Amino acid sequence: MTDEELMMAVCRGDQRAYQTIVKQHLTSISHYAFRILGNQKDTEDITQEVFLKLWTNAPQWKPEKAKLTTWLHRITHNLCIDYLRKHGRMQTRESFEEETASFELNGADASNYKIKILNQALGQLPENQRSAITLCHYQGFSNKEAAAIMNISVKALESAVARAKRSLRNRLLEEDVKTEQPVENDKLGNGKSDSVESKQRREPG
Amino acid sequence: MTIEEFTKIVESYGSEAARWPAEQREQCRTFMASNTAASTLLNQQRELESLLNQITVPEFPTLESRVLNQQLPKQEASVLDRALAWLLPKNSFSQQLWRPAMLACLPLVFGIVIGNFFSFGIALENDSFAYWDDELTMLSLNEYTENSF
Repeated sequence: MTDEELMMAVCRGDQRAYQTIVKQHLTSISHYAFRILGNQKDTEDITQEVFLKLWTNAPQWKPEKAKLTTWLHRITHNLCIDYLRKHGRMQTRESFEEETASFELNGADASNYKIKILNQALGQLPENQRSAITLCHYQGFSNKEAAAIMNISVKALESAVARAKRSLRNRLLEEDVKTEQPVENDKLGNGKSDSVESKQRREPG
Repeated sequence: MTIEEFTKIVESYGSEAARWPAEQREQCRTFMASNTAASTLLNQQRELESLLNQITVPEFPTLESRVLNQQLPKQEASVLDRALAWLLPKNSFSQQLWRPAMLACLPLVFGIVIGNFFSFGIALENDSFAYWDDELTMLSLNEYTENSF
């Protein structure tokens, strides 16, 4: 059955069609919500609400305007943004940090450390940048579709993705400098690393 | 192409050339081959994307049953929605033709019914011509009677 046929059945109150749609889209929707909210409990609440909205607002979906997955992601995006506005940004940051802390316990090598830092940096991005990078990188939407989900222009989306990637890359570079520092110190046997010294040399005075 | 333009494309569309705008793809490839800064930037972008791919989402073992078993309100479509859904069904092409045609015939049927039951103030002047056949007989005799007398 196509998305259109399933949604028509949902409009008539067919619970089997609803179950099929849930099974098809649950993973994608819950992953998107988790990457925006950063914690399991809120993700589950929002995902449940998304599918409730799918059931009640099914007649509002226009297949000629948007794919079903785009429409569902838009509902999820709006619910997540409302939730973050209602409950404040801090809760999300704390949640990302908790997740990151648990990550740290799982692995201790350099790559895992970088992933931990990156996860933390993702949590610190503004919501629009985090949504943009999640939709384009993780959810696999084109820039045009992602812009439609976020209800912004394609240019604004591209700018948000670029800024997000730049700040994540800079965060990784900063971390590279920090991790290189102790190694260099050991090698040189003095208190300053090459990178720090060269940085100091460049600074005036 | 400049390094700024290349950076903008890579940051906005990612490191996969397939996602770059088609009209600039070849230009980007040529630029990348000749510019060290461009290839360094692309490598950094690839490393970032590879690390991003390693950030996983936890499992939600109870979520599916929670969503499937939630209490769903009864679906109640509005009268207009139901009427439109009947008039223009999405599945059947033949029904899309005959249902609007049937609707278009409704005013005609309505007119006949109304005309049959109401006179709208138009009454017969002579009550003695109660039947059409009587009236037709009288009309046919009219000329004859006029000539003979």
